[in-house]
Amino acid sequence: MEFKELDPILHSQLRLAVISLLIGLKEAEFTYIREKTNSTAGNLSVQINKLKEVDYIEVTKQFKDNYPQTVCKITTKGIDAFEKYVQALQSYMKPQ
Amino acid sequence: MDQHFNEQNSLQLIESMINKAKNNFSESGTLYLVWGIVVFICSAVQFIAIYFFKYENATYIWFLTWLVVIYQSFFLSRRSKKEKAKTYTADILKYVWICFASCMFILIFILIYQKAYYSIDPAILVLYGMPTFLSGIILKFRSLIIGGIACWLLAIGSIMVPSVFQLLFICAAVLIAWIIPGILLRKKFKNQH
Repeated sequence: MEFKELDPILHSQLRLAVISLLIGLKEAEFTYIREKTNSTAGNLSVQINKLKEVDYIEVTKQFKDNYPQTVCKITTKGIDAFEKYVQALQSYMKPQ
Repeated sequence: MDQHFNEQNSLQLIESMINKAKNNFSESGTLYLVWGIVVFICSAVQFIAIYFFKYENATYIWFLTWLVVIYQSFFLSRRSKKEKAKTYTADILKYVWICFASCMFILIFILIYQKAYYSIDPAILVLYGMPTFLSGIILKFRSLIIGGIACWLLAIGSIMVPSVFQLLFICAAVLIAWIIPGILLRKKFKNQH
C-alpha cells in the first residue's frame, strides 16, 4: 500500500476551501471568500496569509470607491499544489 | 492539520466549493434585451419608412444605437463595481463581444467603402451569429445557440430577397437571437438571485 503525502498547507479545512473556490475563479474579493466559506474575517485573514506565504495565492490590496479592497487570485504554484493534493487524495480513495 | 478532517471530508469540501464558484451566474440578460429591442425598433422603423412611405433617409434611426452604447458603458461599469468575484467565463465572454464589435465596425466600413450596400445586412447577420452562438456554448444556454444558428440561416435567406426585406430578416434575427434569450436569461438570473 502506497499513500501519497497530503500537502499540510492544503490539508486544512479553511485553506482548502479557499483554494477550491479560487481554482474556479479568475479572482475574488476577500468579502466574497468570507461569505462563501462561512468563516470569520480574522481566521480567514490568517489562512489567506499562510497561503500567500507559500505563493499559492496572490493578494492585492487596492481601493474601490474609496473603500479598501483585498483581491485574491490563485497562482500557477497554487494550481499545481491543488492538483497534486487531489491526486494524493485519490490514492487514499482507490481500493488497495 | 484540522482534527477530524479526513480525506472524505476534503473531497466533499472541494466539490462544494467548486459548485459555489460554478453557480456564480452573473448574466442577467439585460444587454441582450436592450440591444435586441433597439436593433428590432431601428430595423422595423427603417423598413416601414422605406416600404410604406418611400422615405430613404430613415437610416438616421440607427443613431439610436449610440444611446445604447452610452447606456452599456454605464451598465458595465456599475456591474463591475458590484462584482465581488471574476469568473473566467465572464472574461472570455467579454473578449468574444469585443471581437464581435471590432469585426462589425471594420466590416461595415469596408462594405460601405466598396459601395457593397446590398451585402451589409447579410454580413451583419453572419456576425450576429458568431458571438450569440459562442455565448450559448460558453454559458451552456441552448436558446442562444439556437439564436446563433438562426442568424446564420437568416443570413443565407437574406441574400435571396430585395434589399428592403433584409431589414425584416434583421428583426427576426434579433428577436430569436437576443430578445427571447434575453428574457429567458433574465428569468434564470432572477430565479438564482
